[in-house]
This record gives sequence, C-alpha cells and structure tokens, in this order.
Amino acid sequence: MTERAISSPLRQRPAKPLHPMRTVMHLLRWVTVGLLLAFTLIPLIFMLTTSLKSPIEIRVSGSLLPSEGIFLVNWERAFRNVPLPRYLWNSLLVGIMSTAMTLLVAVPASYAIVRFRAGGRLLPSWILGTYVAPPIVISVPVFMLMRSVGLVDQPFGLALLHMVANLPVATWMLMDFVRSLPMEVEEAAQMDGASHWGVLLRIVVPLILPGLVATAIICLILSWNEFLFALILTYSLRSQTFPIGISEFQGEHGLQFGEISAAALTGIVPVYVLAMFFQRYLIHGLTRGSVK
Amino acid sequence: MIGPAVLTLIVFSLYPLVYSIALSATDSQLARPFREFIAFKNYTDAARDALFGNSLVLTFIYAFGVTAIETVIGFGLALLLNRESGPTRFARTLGLLPFITPPVAIAAIWRLIYDPSSGMLNHYLVRAGILEQNVAFLGVPGLAMASVMLVDIWQWTPFVFLLSLAVLAGLPHEPYEAAAVDGANGWQQFIHITLPLCLPGVLIIAILRLIGAMKVFDLVFMLTFGGPGSSTQVASFYIYKTAFQQFKTGYASAMTIIVIVILSVLVTLLTALYRRVQAKYGP
Repeated sequence: MTERAISSPLRQRPAKPLHPMRTVMHLLRWVTVGLLLAFTLIPLIFMLTTSLKSPIEIRVSGSLLPSEGIFLVNWERAFRNVPLPRYLWNSLLVGIMSTAMTLLVAVPASYAIVRFRAGGRLLPSWILGTYVAPPIVISVPVFMLMRSVGLVDQPFGLALLHMVANLPVATWMLMDFVRSLPMEVEEAAQMDGASHWGVLLRIVVPLILPGLVATAIICLILSWNEFLFALILTYSLRSQTFPIGISEFQGEHGLQFGEISAAALTGIVPVYVLAMFFQRYLIHGLTRGSVK
Repeated sequence: MIGPAVLTLIVFSLYPLVYSIALSATDSQLARPFREFIAFKNYTDAARDALFGNSLVLTFIYAFGVTAIETVIGFGLALLLNRESGPTRFARTLGLLPFITPPVAIAAIWRLIYDPSSGMLNHYLVRAGILEQNVAFLGVPGLAMASVMLVDIWQWTPFVFLLSLAVLAGLPHEPYEAAAVDGANGWQQFIHITLPLCLPGVLIIAILRLIGAMKVFDLVFMLTFGGPGSSTQVASFYIYKTAFQQFKTGYASAMTIIVIVILSVLVTLLTALYRRVQAKYGP
C-alpha cells in the first residue's frame, strides 16, 4: 500500500511554480489537517493531563494543561479504589481465549470456503450476515443459554460470546488472505499425498501468517473493548472485564474524574502498545479485503 | 473443516433466532421464560409503543447522521493527504488510535470534556466568548444526541480516512494518463475520474460504518444512559432496558425480531445499491 500511495495518480503532475491559487490550497490543506489532528489528539491529551492534575483543580477548571503542577494522587487512588489489575487480567484472559477460539473456528472454515466452496453460498453469507445484527438481538436467548449451562460470570462464557462476535470479521479477513495465495503449492502438496488438513496446517497457515497475526490482533482488541456482552454476562470480579470495571466505578462509586482518567488510561495503554508494535499488520489487515 | 463454524452459527445464531421468535409470542419475564402464550400481543404493543418508535427513529438519525459526516470528512481528508510524506505517515499512525480505544474509556473522557461545571468544552467556549455561560451538553434533549454523535465521529472518522487512503491507492493510472493527454485539468480529473472510480469503495466503507453505528450501545450507556428523558434512547439501549432492567424478555424479544426485519430490509437495499454502483462505475 505504501509504495502505491507514493505514485498515486493524483500526485503525478510535475511540480509547477507556485501559483497564488495553489498556495492558498496548500495552506488550506495544512490548516485542515492541523485542525483534525488537534481534534483527534486533544481528548487523549486531556485524559492524560486530567489524571495528573490536583483533584481541586479538576473540580474548578477545565483547562487542557495543569496549572498547579503535576500530581500523582489520582493514579494512587485509582489503583487503591479500583481493582484494576483484576479487571485487566480478566480482559486479557477473555481476549486470549476468545482469539484462540476464533482462529480455531475461522481458519479452517475460511480455507474450506475459499478452496472447496464448502457450504455453498449460504455459509459465507450466513457468517457475514451475523455481523449485521446488533449484539443486543441475541442477548436474551444467549443469556438464558449461558445460565442453563452455568457459564454466567465465567471468563470462558464471555470468551465464547466474543468468539461469536468476532467470527464474521475474522472469517472475512482470512478468506481474503487465503484467496491471495497461489494454488500451485497446495496442488503440488496434494499430489504428494498430503491431506486437506495437512495442506492447511503445513502450507497455508505458514504462508498467511502475517494475515493471521493481523486477524489475531484485531480480535484481541475487539474483545478487549467489548461492552454489551460483558455487561450482561459478568457480575463479579471473577469475570468482570476492564470496560465493565470503568463503567461501574464511574456510575456507582462516584469516582472522581482524575481517578477515572487514570483508570481509563491504564486500560488504553496496552491496546496502544499492541497497535504500535503491530501497526503495519493492523493497517494492512484492515485495509485489505474490506475495500476491494 | 467447516464443522466448528456451522456448529457455532447454529448455537449462537439460528438457536437464538428461533428462541427469540418463540419467546416473543409469550408474556415472559427473565426469571420465568415461556409463561403464558399471548400470540402477537407483544408485536401489537410494540407497534403502539411510542418509546420504541422513538428509539428506532433515533437509531436511524444517529446511524445515518454519523455515517454521512464520517464519510465526507474521512474521504475528504484522504484526498487532501493522498501523498506519501512524513505528515501522511504520522496521520496514518495517529488515525489508528481512536477506533481501537475502548469505547468505555472514550466515553469516560468525553463526559469530562462535556461536564457542565468543570468541562474543557465549556471552559474554552466561554473564554472565547462563544458561550455566555456553561452549557450541559449531555443534559439538554437534542443537544445530548448531537454530543453523543460527536464522540462517534471522533472515534470513527479516522477509520474511514484509513480505508479511503487504501481506495485511492488502488486507483488505476491509465485514465489519468489519457485525461492528461486530452488536456483535462486537476479539477476535471477529480470530477470525472477520481470520484466515479472511488464511489464503489467509499460506498462499502459507508455501509460498514452504517451497520456499525446501528449497533451503538456503549457510548449511550456511558454518556447519557438514554437521557435526558428518552432523547438518546436508541433501539439497542431500549431493548437492553426492557430485557435486563425491567426483565420483560418476551416483549424485548418481539422488539429484537422487528429490529432484525428492519435491518434485513436495509441491508438488502444497500446491497442492491452497491451492485448498481459497482456495475456502473466498478472495474
């Protein structure tokens, strides 16, 4: 994508001497971009500075930058009042379990759909169709089902639902990665007597590994952020995830804004670190398939 | 190989659908499902329920509103920044952040930005003389809806921007070379080549956003809890309240079936629209 953007057709015109009109356009471009960057960044910066302000200053002033110096008291209180490590641990547990389950289901399915047209036209459209329905529409039956099998307030129960929620996105992405593979290698392996599973595990999976990583990261983030299923299915520290923790403490425990900012940032940082490390995979995975 | 996927779909999609249809014909409560068969009473109740109608209208206003704004700004920004340079790379990295941020954390910080007494928005708008006194952005009907939508726009415009960049990067070169030979200027190239060629891709992005926005729940739950009054009570939230706070699962199920039908019609229409656009402008 990067290489193609360089030679993108819009920018192929040779440089002309600066025209008044072009200068205005140029200026307009940068002013617009500056404003939009500010719009994107200011809330995040405000969250950080709020967590570092003194509690008194937070109550009287909404200025972006702290004026009375930097305080760590909000962070101390957030970690004392909110069982943050527990929420984050639950989120991690649910995220890893659900991502593993999603891939276990989606990898063979997408391979079979692309290569053998398994399930005809019904299966792919059914999988993608589930993406359209808001999670609330299945929440009542799914809650009853989970309760009857004893999976309410269990990390595994929530992970199961996150797997269901992420299945369409994962299948969609993986189908596109499988489709982009040349078929010759698979055919050669099949000639040598490899089974379908053998070809999938020993040839296809290693070849789509970057795509697999992108899919896994996206599933992990989606699970980490998910709110509605977690709200319905978790009651106690045994399984409550980070989003539920934040919402509980904002609502019932009358937490101060500084503490909420600190707590919220604690849950954001892992996502940003992950995104930073896997930035290329992420952008690649997101922009493929969806717009082709 | 498709066994696990089929099993998942049957348990978590077909079974819930059948269960919901069955439940919607009963006067069920959360603690006592399938009590009393009442046939279509839940559906006739829903048709007369002004709050349900209101929640559907709000969902549509919300979804179409944010999708239109996000698509225009996101695609416009991609056109402006369709050049590989330091600032573009920076904007692309930065653009990843909002939509991967947990919505609950986003809502927490926007509540503080909107806060009527010590919020940042009031702080600066009053100082700049735009507002005379502090405003409760989340406490006034109408304004509250716009405020929730602004958070959605903050979160998802960069997503549209990133995908639009990919659409632009995928454009073929030949039409531009031909146009340059014919002496078409930049503006004419934009109107007659770039815009039509981008249309199918941008439409897909808009459809993705529309479907996503129809699901909105967490922002409303955290920012306004449906209020003030019922002015931000979108369909997901109203169904949630009916099922899990008032425990009327039979009635909630009837509403979910209605929502599923509406969404199916909407998606069918959008798919037909996309096919047309694709046939006219696609490769």
